Amino acid sequence: MKRRTFLGGTIAVTTLGLASRVDAQQPPIKIGMSMPQTGGLAGGGKASLLGIEIWRDDVNAKGGLLGRKVELVVYDDKSSASETPAIYSKLLDVDKVDLLFAPYATVPTAPIMPLVKQRGLLLMGNFSFQVNSKVQHDMWFNNAPWGPPDSWPDSFLEIAQKAGAKSVAFLSADQEFAQNLVVIAREVAKKRNMPVVFDQAYPPSTVEFSSIVRALKAAKPDVVYVSSYPPDSAGILRAVNEIGIGDNVKVFGGGMVGLQFGAVMENMGSLLNGVVNYNSWLPEPKMYYEGTKEFFDKYTKRAVEAKVDPLGYYLAPFGYASGQLVEAAVKAVGSFDQKAIAKYLHEHEMQTIVGPMSFGPDGERKENAVLQAQFRGIVDKNIEQFRSPGKQVILFPEKLKSGDLITPFEAARK
Amino acid sequence: MNRNGILFWIGATLFLAAALLMTQVIGNQYPFFAGYVILQFVVLAVAWSILGGYAGYVNFGTSAFFGVGVYTAVFLAKAFGAPLAVQIATAAAIGALMGFVLGLLTLRMQGIFFSIATIAATIVIETTVTNWRYVGGAAGIQLQRPMVTAPFDNYVQMLFFVQALLVVLAVAISRYIQNSWIGHGLKALRDDELAAECTGVPTLRLKLVACVISGALMCAAGAPAAMYLQYADPSSAFNLNYSVSVLAMSLIGGTAHWAGPIIGAILLGATQQLLTVTISSEVNVLVLGVMLVLFVVAAPQGIIGLIRKVRRHRSEGEA
Repeated sequence: MKRRTFLGGTIAVTTLGLASRVDAQQPPIKIGMSMPQTGGLAGGGKASLLGIEIWRDDVNAKGGLLGRKVELVVYDDKSSASETPAIYSKLLDVDKVDLLFAPYATVPTAPIMPLVKQRGLLLMGNFSFQVNSKVQHDMWFNNAPWGPPDSWPDSFLEIAQKAGAKSVAFLSADQEFAQNLVVIAREVAKKRNMPVVFDQAYPPSTVEFSSIVRALKAAKPDVVYVSSYPPDSAGILRAVNEIGIGDNVKVFGGGMVGLQFGAVMENMGSLLNGVVNYNSWLPEPKMYYEGTKEFFDKYTKRAVEAKVDPLGYYLAPFGYASGQLVEAAVKAVGSFDQKAIAKYLHEHEMQTIVGPMSFGPDGERKENAVLQAQFRGIVDKNIEQFRSPGKQVILFPEKLKSGDLITPFEAARK
Repeated sequence: MNRNGILFWIGATLFLAAALLMTQVIGNQYPFFAGYVILQFVVLAVAWSILGGYAGYVNFGTSAFFGVGVYTAVFLAKAFGAPLAVQIATAAAIGALMGFVLGLLTLRMQGIFFSIATIAATIVIETTVTNWRYVGGAAGIQLQRPMVTAPFDNYVQMLFFVQALLVVLAVAISRYIQNSWIGHGLKALRDDELAAECTGVPTLRLKLVACVISGALMCAAGAPAAMYLQYADPSSAFNLNYSVSVLAMSLIGGTAHWAGPIIGAILLGATQQLLTVTISSEVNVLVLGVMLVLFVVAAPQGIIGLIRKVRRHRSEGEA
């Protein structure tokens, strides 16, 4: 080795060592959030948090954000709106976090929207629904695939109309998310000239649905749009299984919450067959992007330890994607300046493990990426079956389609 | 006014002055966010204790009154853009009316039946609000805060001070009741309602008075919560957690004296706030239950009872 090369090498190594020591001494970059870890939203909240934690570990393994380690500051908001204002004030005024993530779901997120707007802060949304429509904060970015508010029920009714459906029935739980959905679905039905022949909301505590399903069957609708919560989703499908829904129903489902979670799906088993329902991510071939497979490999291992949804399709990859959005934007703008990050996110299409994301002026996704998928060939008591493709065939969006609708519903159930 | 009365009002004035001073001196927002919640629980616990403590009628409907307070404010803000003071005053009036009607309907039932009836009232009212689209229905409603008025430069600081005012009001009323004929009558009917009735205590009327005052204060405490959260949804506003927490606070503090619920609310409220930002997990929820069980077993009269016991022992020892 030449003396000069040796000298050069030594200097380079020393400088690098010094530089990395400077990095190590830099304080970590703190990302603050509340997350439902107890109460009704806890199941989803915990899975979502695990997704974000996997991102944190990945980014730290790569050297952190601009050379600073990422640290998460997380508090439990008990799934309640009344807890989040104090928590976010603590995050900002006491913990002095650098960036904010929103908690999972609409209810805990709603009270912090005015706060972040007042203080001009970036907030990465987590599966809330139209929470920014009144506040109109221009530094809000929702990771959920919903897109424009009417696009979601619209895709379901479009599938139904293509299958020849004319009249529609609505069955909805008297709860926040379900009502949000059905209000929009009614407008969509009107726009599509589909007469509503049955429209009933039931109290959230309802467990016995046979009388409702009988009344629904008597109305002879062509399509049944259900927006329900996990316990009632199960109750409704059981009642449908016992009583039947009639041969004219071409498509059944739409907005049933719960049919995205491993434990619920395992419990329902073959009752799911034929139901067309919304989802956010499914193990169909076209759904894999760069890093998706690696993410689920890690998630599956850690889910057992964290005691969360073993499948984790619905929320966890989107938590990871939130981290990816921040990571890419911070790297691109070269700082933690929240205004610059927001500007970058507004102007660029971002690549994530759940596909490309681009945001409209309201911070919601520009394009509707909510999947409508039909359950096929499901057997009882087997959670592993949901990991293989073909069990939930994607019917919408067109570019991700993995099969065609089987109709009518009674035929698809067999 | 006797010596105790003067001391009480000096204490109350000092408390309000301290609260006002805090809003002017402290720039950090978190103490006001957390402090607001604790003060809110003080008002609720003191209000609960008027019927639950003095009269021994266990009311599980705190969340119903609280939620009605929240939604009264929501309605007034949306329909008329009413200022905070009007929201609170109207909520108190509606709370009083609600207490009166609920009292008339349920106070003839005794013991556990009254408690069950109050839970039922919560469910009925929550379902009604859930289906009332004008105030957001099941989906909830977001609210815009009006401009803050001087001397405060932040709305949450103002709400903190308003809640401090409500604390003083609630405690003053509770203290008055305890020392007046109403309190003596309520105590008599708590010990033995039949005997009290026979000796000429107008039991139903007294219970109604307690229910009306308690209801008015609970609703008033709920009204500022709408602007505190800038959001209202039925499941959060009518959360059974309010009923359970307030009951636990009153019992842990002790219901025999007006100071009991204050001690209980500060102790438990502060613990809850602290746990939320420290342990922050299921343990948080567990603490309330464990503390309640411990106190019911070890100190059924609450902290006030414990203090009295210690004092009695000491005076006996001296004698």
